[in-house]
Amino acid sequence: MTSDEAILAAAEKVKAAGPSAPRLARDPVNMAAIRNWTDAIGDTSRLYTDAEFAARSVHGQLVAPPAMVQVWTMPGLIAQRGNDDHAADAGGDPLGQMMRVLDEAEFTSVVATNCGQTYDRYLRHGELLSLRSELTDVSGPKRTALGEGWFVTTRNVWYSGDEPVAEMDWRVLKYRPGRPAPAPAPPTPAMAMRPAISADTEFFWAGMKVSELRIQRCGECGALRHPPGPACLRCGATRNQGYQVAAGTGSVYSYVVHRHPPVPGKNLPIVIALVELDEGVRVMAELTGIEPDKVCIGMPVRTSFIRIDDDLVLPGWRPAEHGTPGMLSEQTLPELTIQVTPTFVVSTAIATRDFYPVHHDRDFAVATGSKDIFLNILTTTGLVQRYVTDWAGPDAIVRGVSIRLGVPCYAGDALTFSGSVTAADSAEQVIAVTGSCSLGNHVTGTVLLGNTVRLAGVP
Amino acid sequence: MQTAIAGIGATEFSKASGRSELKLAVEAVRAALDDAGLRPADVDGLVTFSMDSNAEIAVARELGAGELTFFSLIGYGGGAACATVQQAAMAVATGAASVVVCYRALNERSGRRFGQVAVGAALGSTSSALDNAWHYPMGLATPAATVAMAARRYMHVYGATSADFGTVAVADRKHAAANPAAWFYQRPITLAEHQESRWICEPLRLLDCCQETDGAVAVVVTSLERARFVKPAPVLIRAAAQGSGPGQYTMTSYYRDDLTGLPEMGVVARQLWAQAGIGPADIRTAVLYDHFTPYVLMQLEELGFCPRGEAKDFIAGGTIELGGTLPLNPHGGQLGEGYLHGMNGIAEAVRQVRGTSVNQVPGDGPVLVTAGTGVPTSGLILGPD
Repeated sequence: MTSDEAILAAAEKVKAAGPSAPRLARDPVNMAAIRNWTDAIGDTSRLYTDAEFAARSVHGQLVAPPAMVQVWTMPGLIAQRGNDDHAADAGGDPLGQMMRVLDEAEFTSVVATNCGQTYDRYLRHGELLSLRSELTDVSGPKRTALGEGWFVTTRNVWYSGDEPVAEMDWRVLKYRPGRPAPAPAPPTPAMAMRPAISADTEFFWAGMKVSELRIQRCGECGALRHPPGPACLRCGATRNQGYQVAAGTGSVYSYVVHRHPPVPGKNLPIVIALVELDEGVRVMAELTGIEPDKVCIGMPVRTSFIRIDDDLVLPGWRPAEHGTPGMLSEQTLPELTIQVTPTFVVSTAIATRDFYPVHHDRDFAVATGSKDIFLNILTTTGLVQRYVTDWAGPDAIVRGVSIRLGVPCYAGDALTFSGSVTAADSAEQVIAVTGSCSLGNHVTGTVLLGNTVRLAGVP
Repeated sequence: MQTAIAGIGATEFSKASGRSELKLAVEAVRAALDDAGLRPADVDGLVTFSMDSNAEIAVARELGAGELTFFSLIGYGGGAACATVQQAAMAVATGAASVVVCYRALNERSGRRFGQVAVGAALGSTSSALDNAWHYPMGLATPAATVAMAARRYMHVYGATSADFGTVAVADRKHAAANPAAWFYQRPITLAEHQESRWICEPLRLLDCCQETDGAVAVVVTSLERARFVKPAPVLIRAAAQGSGPGQYTMTSYYRDDLTGLPEMGVVARQLWAQAGIGPADIRTAVLYDHFTPYVLMQLEELGFCPRGEAKDFIAGGTIELGGTLPLNPHGGQLGEGYLHGMNGIAEAVRQVRGTSVNQVPGDGPVLVTAGTGVPTSGLILGPD
């Protein structure tokens, strides 16, 4: 078996070779493939297939769905990866070479985990793409929910002629199945940690259910306190303790980004903020609607109410509107639920030109440790794009889609997308998207939207 | 009456002890009694943490001790460590008992792991559950997270950085690397490795967090007079104190005016200095409770080793490493040696006074030990007879 050091040495060699030679797509960007893709994904935008509509659009002509970019250079059923066998320094496919190194080390299974695509411009029908791929990172061995494995990251650039048109950071986990760490169960209301409630604190939790953030107020001296308790902390009175409803505005006094270990009922990471209310008391709650790295001490927030079920509503924070640029408006996208039938799994796999049997052959999928056939990552990427463009309309320009895969989405499940605008300025919007199925979060990610078109052929 | 530590004992520190916590407790207590040249029959008092799984009577029974005249549990997690010795000393000083053993045994890696979320912590009708109700359901549910909240504010106010926290981890691991009893024996880390370690709960990284350890430690307390008749030279308990601050919570005292100090440690510090009649400048080496690195900086400030906000400057340049002006945690601390809820730090302080530590700090000056931070806590000053 190959040692860790040998794997890393091989990785260094492949990395040092730099980008592969260009690999040409088999076919140019074409209507037939686009129709198969839009049919399977359920993308009804007329930009891609209706020449008249497209001519009047911001693009002025027919374009391809941006999330299809990887489809054009997929190897296909009869693998076209002709140059895989070449050594890296002879321009071969670096991912294929790294996969062989890890196969030899008995990390035999593979699953895609992350895909971050950026689109320099939309593609016209008729353009023939080529792909150059470069190994950027190999890290491991890591213990994962699937087994011990190595994360392999490549940087991929698509060209139309000499012009780069799209980039993708692509990460796969190459792993040795078996002895999997138990996967954390997906959050459900039943798992949420519930608060102990006493006669002194009941008013707070009752307030939550009617969307009121109630702060204990002493009827004798007027002092406020939180967390509540039996006495006034200023005058000592134990009688006449009431409450007032907070205005719901304040600023972050301190905060954490919790990443480990799992917290029942939560999808990590979460931001938990200790907020100083404008009334002068501090209250701690989860801060949502913002990327963790955008949070800062002093940022204005306002109260939200996180409903767990009929019995429990938790306090929460959202970034205050009209906050600093880059902080977020409140806009939420309507949910979209897709019934993931076997036909859906198979048709999307084929429409994305992914013929790996786990996406169409149930017996093969089961024999290799899966419950059933499951969605491929190109489809998930496409669905995330479709979910956002369904909402944003044909004038929105998709500049990038970045996703991280969680639990598999098996045939027979339902996949529900939700999303919200997490950052917006006059030129760009960031949409956070989550797709969850019965096992938990299948995908989390972001879509970057711009509002100015970059014309095809004009870099 | 003056009191002394007459013996210390411990099991090995591991990730999987392969035996019950009660067995670990009995082994450590026996080792401590052997060290003191005493027999189980001499023991008439036992003290442990309220978090310990092993009742005093169970330990006494398994030990073959006879009658007990004093038994006591101290609350608030690791804050209990030095207070067990204080309780024992008070029992001896008042005549309630003559030989009191303090112990703590835990399978903290192979059994209940404190770093995981205790899902039932906010359930029930105790005041603790009601306190936890303001944090656990919201997702702040691990010790690291509770410390991270204070650490973030401390960084904001004083400009401390993650690398400053890393300085503590590097010193601990350097010391542990030379301590054969330490889990991280011969495995030092660099500051770069600290900075590359993954986030657990920002701003805390993996290497800011103490280990998870299986093991047990015991300490025998008796009168100084009696201790003088036993094998090793007695270690005098020069000061022992507990402290809780105003507006105190367990790990979540977030509603005080300030979030950048540890007032409960200030309460302990004032008592320790007054009882021993000395000040920070007299301390030869200190074992500061290090479940998470940021609180080591705050402790240095509360204890008066440096002004508020200046710990980051105080610890720079090797001050807290062996050979520095205030070596901290010569055994490697709970990041380097093992997480025994602070009791292994007391054992190291005893070795430093005896002159038997593998990382002996030169001199015969007093040694300071502190207990768990962020909670009601305790401290000791030990010195030679």
